[in-house]
Amino acid sequence: MNKLSSLSDAVASIPSGSHVAVSGFAITRCAMAFAREVIRQGIKKLTISQCLGAMDTDLLVGGGAVERLIYGGGALDRFGRLACINAGIETGSLRAEEYSSLSIAFRYLAGSLGLPFIPIRSLSGSSLLSQLQERSGSDIAFVNDPFSGERWLTLKPLLPDVAVVQVQTCDEDGNAWIMGPKWDSPEQAKASARTIVIAEHVVSTDVIRREPERCVIPNLLVSHVVELPFGAHPTSLYREYDYDADEIKKYVEATKKPGLWKAYLDTYVYGVKNHQEYLELIGGSPRLTKLRADPTLGY
Amino acid sequence: MDFTPSELMAVSGARELEDRQVVAVGIGLPMVASFLAKKSHAPNMTILFELGVINPEPIHTGVGIADPRVWYRATTLNSFVDILGAILHRGRVDVGFLGGLEADQFGNLNTTLVGDPKGKFHHMIGSGGANDIASCAKKTILIMRQEEHKFRETISFVTSPGFVKGGNSREKAGLRGGPSRVITDKAIYGFHPQTRKMMLISIHPGNTLKDVTSTLGLQPVVPSLVPFTEPPTSEQLRLIREVIDPERMYMG
Repeated sequence: MNKLSSLSDAVASIPSGSHVAVSGFAITRCAMAFAREVIRQGIKKLTISQCLGAMDTDLLVGGGAVERLIYGGGALDRFGRLACINAGIETGSLRAEEYSSLSIAFRYLAGSLGLPFIPIRSLSGSSLLSQLQERSGSDIAFVNDPFSGERWLTLKPLLPDVAVVQVQTCDEDGNAWIMGPKWDSPEQAKASARTIVIAEHVVSTDVIRREPERCVIPNLLVSHVVELPFGAHPTSLYREYDYDADEIKKYVEATKKPGLWKAYLDTYVYGVKNHQEYLELIGGSPRLTKLRADPTLGY
Repeated sequence: MDFTPSELMAVSGARELEDRQVVAVGIGLPMVASFLAKKSHAPNMTILFELGVINPEPIHTGVGIADPRVWYRATTLNSFVDILGAILHRGRVDVGFLGGLEADQFGNLNTTLVGDPKGKFHHMIGSGGANDIASCAKKTILIMRQEEHKFRETISFVTSPGFVKGGNSREKAGLRGGPSRVITDKAIYGFHPQTRKMMLISIHPGNTLKDVTSTLGLQPVVPSLVPFTEPPTSEQLRLIREVIDPERMYMG
């Protein structure tokens, strides 16, 4: 089936109020073009989940699209903190449920397997647990192991409405390869009702069939395929392009003052009609060529 | 021989690691300590990054574990569930390295909420995989710079549990392992076997006992005889300076 779609059509398929799992990890493989389009379309009140908070989610929060965040903490590596998320938590405008990263990965895993709950050794003895019990008691419970009698903390599965996963390669039916470490992307896609794949390259199914063991997300999970070169910019996509340190620094600077942040959104999000215009804005192909990964290094 | 406090921290971290151990690390000093051990006395050690990376051999320094520079020449690239699930949660991680913005006397770490001098709390980083490593590794090693406001009797938020409230409270919380060492730029600490309070083990050369205790916001257990920390060897310094961190990105 041909599921090729424009970014705007794929994003328009997500109603306000949906639960969306997004694929970024700090400053790599982030669904950045997706986040910009969500903000442009005025989609609101999203629940976002992610095992490690990343730049895509921070932008979504800063753009006013997120009501609730279920995540495992995070930062923009050495570039800085997740300033929009942190500000939302500090002012109370964002309802954040904060776990460890493995807790989120396990909640997706339980969702992906159709399990009613999943036991975990993490969180016990921490303020994360006491805070979660105060804020979202229904997602956490204790059970006794029916075999040993041992008491276990258990987590409710996450079942997002849609996963949005940035990948290197897929076919028009959505069979997708993820190169490099995959963090929680496989479980995000499998736990979600459907997946939007945003790919650097769309190849023929014959190419996919030659190396089927590389397929991480099989077609049956996928509703839309968006071919979108540099869709993760300014974050990196392993084996395709490096992160754009200058653009990430501009973002981090902008998050430090409300006036600067409004100007950032006006320039990079509202100031362009689509991803093509965004790429021209940041310097077009001369700049993008410089970011291209060395095939032997992967960055 | 001249060496910096950071170099001694990395070397002290490396000395805690044994051949064939499985070690979960993050960027910075823990990574330098682990690579140093692997390039010297522990060649069969396994190095893990939580997001899905096993035994990389980077040739360029990275800005974090999300930087593909530090995945270079990995033997396996897989997933979070593969690493922190099927290796850590399964019980196969011998040593986890942790850092923190604040630590208390029982080795509990805070990376979530930190108060400023005006009493306002700021949200910082949160857990990532740190809480998971603190909960599931056979033991953890804490690496932090020593400042009075960073080491406190109590902390406002426990992101990653150490010995919780001391004594056997960690076991009661259903947790295995626990912190074995705290390595700072002034000294190395262990934990008292009964009270589980931080206990001074060695003082870095060039410091007095007063230098150590006056830069802590807590009272460590101080035994009657405290040796100096063994300085780095010239080979360890050569590996750090020429092979592992030639750009001095991690060592400052």
